Amino acid sequence: MHIPDGYLSPATCAVGFAVAVPTIIVASQRVQRTVKVRNVPTLAVLAAVAFLVMMFNVPIPDGTTAHAVGAVLIAILLGPWAAVIAVSVALLFQALLFGDGGVLAYGVNVTNMAIIMPFVGYAVYKAIAARTPLTSGRRVVAAGIGGYVGINAAAFAAAVELGIQPTLFHAADGTPLYSPYHLAQTIPAMMLAHLTVAGFVEAAICAGTVAYLQRANVPLLQVNHPGVPLTAQDARPSARRRVRPWHVAVAVVGLMVVLTPLGLLAPGGAFGEDAPGDLNLSGLGLRSVPEGLARWNGFWHSALFQGYDYGNDPHPWVGYMVSALVGIAVVGASVLLLVWVVNRVARKPRTDEEQTVNVAHESKTSAS
Amino acid sequence: MTSVTPDRALAVDTRPPGPVTTPDPQTAQTPRWLLEGEMAMCPCGCVGRRKKGSFVEKTLDGSAGLLRHVMFGQDVAQSPGFLQRVDPRVKLVSLLLLLVAAAVVRHISVLLTAYVLTLLVARASAVPVGFFVKRVWLFVPIFTGIVVIPATFSFITPGEIVVPLWTWNGQQVGITAQGLQAAGLIVSRVALSISLVVLLTITTPWVELLSALRALHVPRMFVLVVGMAYRYIFLLLGSVTDMYESRRARQVGAEKHDGASRAFVSSTAGALLSKSHQLSEEVHMAMVARGFRGDAKTLSGFDLRRADYVFLAVVVTVSAVIVLGDHLLGL
Repeated sequence: MHIPDGYLSPATCAVGFAVAVPTIIVASQRVQRTVKVRNVPTLAVLAAVAFLVMMFNVPIPDGTTAHAVGAVLIAILLGPWAAVIAVSVALLFQALLFGDGGVLAYGVNVTNMAIIMPFVGYAVYKAIAARTPLTSGRRVVAAGIGGYVGINAAAFAAAVELGIQPTLFHAADGTPLYSPYHLAQTIPAMMLAHLTVAGFVEAAICAGTVAYLQRANVPLLQVNHPGVPLTAQDARPSARRRVRPWHVAVAVVGLMVVLTPLGLLAPGGAFGEDAPGDLNLSGLGLRSVPEGLARWNGFWHSALFQGYDYGNDPHPWVGYMVSALVGIAVVGASVLLLVWVVNRVARKPRTDEEQTVNVAHESKTSAS
Repeated sequence: MTSVTPDRALAVDTRPPGPVTTPDPQTAQTPRWLLEGEMAMCPCGCVGRRKKGSFVEKTLDGSAGLLRHVMFGQDVAQSPGFLQRVDPRVKLVSLLLLLVAAAVVRHISVLLTAYVLTLLVARASAVPVGFFVKRVWLFVPIFTGIVVIPATFSFITPGEIVVPLWTWNGQQVGITAQGLQAAGLIVSRVALSISLVVLLTITTPWVELLSALRALHVPRMFVLVVGMAYRYIFLLLGSVTDMYESRRARQVGAEKHDGASRAFVSSTAGALLSKSHQLSEEVHMAMVARGFRGDAKTLSGFDLRRADYVFLAVVVTVSAVIVLGDHLLGL
């Protein structure tokens, strides 16, 4: 998954750095706040461990071995922000000392393996582990699934970055200037390897290490799990954490943003969305486009992004992405505005008279 | 010879008899047995021979390879040569400039010319050219080449077919000119980029490279963490080697690649994490005891000499010539 120099265009590398550098800065501030002056030795030793964990050969059933990345493991033990720093430093060693992963591509590699992987894996771990006691088996399973999902998210990101190269950057005669494979080839190639082998290797390392620490070194597990009860006996009945609609909405929209590039792969068009010129008239037993259809089609001509694109720009994908982002922002803002208005209208009568409280309560619950 | 220190005398003794004009950097300090064997260890396992061996052996080999690699690099960085005399900051900036230039070039001929230049520079910098060529061509771009070969076919890169192979559904399938061009472009660009990075890292001691990062306004904390991490890699590598060697010592017969061995590997990782956590506490206390208050001070011992400015000017010119020459050749 270490992308070398030469596969990515300088523009992609610049985007990678634009994502990686601010995240590393935020991460070092976050870590500084939590571990204070201790952060330097802790992070240094962690980075060394992250580098060494990448060297571990994990035995796999066919008799060969594979490597793990370990970003999710560090995220589980010391939090995702610490994992960002540790894995970034380990990747720097690999790029500079071993030529494994490029120098210009460093930002992109950091984005995939030191940002996407620990955060996705840690989120999955947290969601599955929920509020179970620290030594429960469910946390072992959660760590394994977190590792599996984390490395696959990173591989998917790498596949997308490689796959958009030939479409965005090619010479006039169609010669790809950088990585020559399209999304339709990079995504299956990367995901096949990671869904079948590398994902399970990562899962084995994560689950096995958490299981070992549950037996051998619980205080290390407690570092990043303050207030989590040790065993089932210690668990106090606590109020269930409420799922906030706001968090769910952001998570779902985020997932859809990540999946947006898949739309570029879809062939053909959707039923009922064709332009009148594309209709198979003879197949429908018609001789001409129906009058009403012809009259009302094209009624609205002043769309900002006609056909999910603006103007006749040379990179239709950029237009597609921009339309996607603008669309998300507009829809999100409209929904927020709508909910705000509904809340205002629903809250008003509550202060007035008692008889309207019931109605207001009903409309409020239906709004949320 | 009376004033020679013991280790210096040892180094003199190990040299072959006869007139030695240029000191062989490989034998200057690192023992030869450590330098033999597989070159270019890749920690991700994607490069190089993929032999079926026990995971214990492979991890031990990997850690020996890491030490070998680092010691060899230090030997080259300390031997006299052209690039060794250049200021590390200047070298780092030059590397970034040349990498960007290599990334925007669209002609194979330009990339290959630049690659020949790196060979000349390597030769002038006491980097063994055989090692340098092997490091770049035998492992990474051949791997890249294998990955890129399918891309030459018309079903990946459509275009003008120069080598028709077969027809499928009435359409001709073959190797396209565009595919060949793309493959050559990517292989030569990867080769050039890796050569440039190897040239920088092998001629610069790690400590100086870190100071160069600091001089380029990389946050001080990050540089400090990187520097300390580099030191603890070797300490913790010792723990890993101990664990695996004791495992091998207790084991009779071949290793099985089953769940128990996976449990061993993850327990090793867990033990390593526990040890490192304890270690970081101790290091922290030792640092505070010596007056560390969360702020780092570096000794800035760099002064740019005239030769460094000349070097930088030459690099800027070369990058400009590469990019301009590429534009003159047309798109």
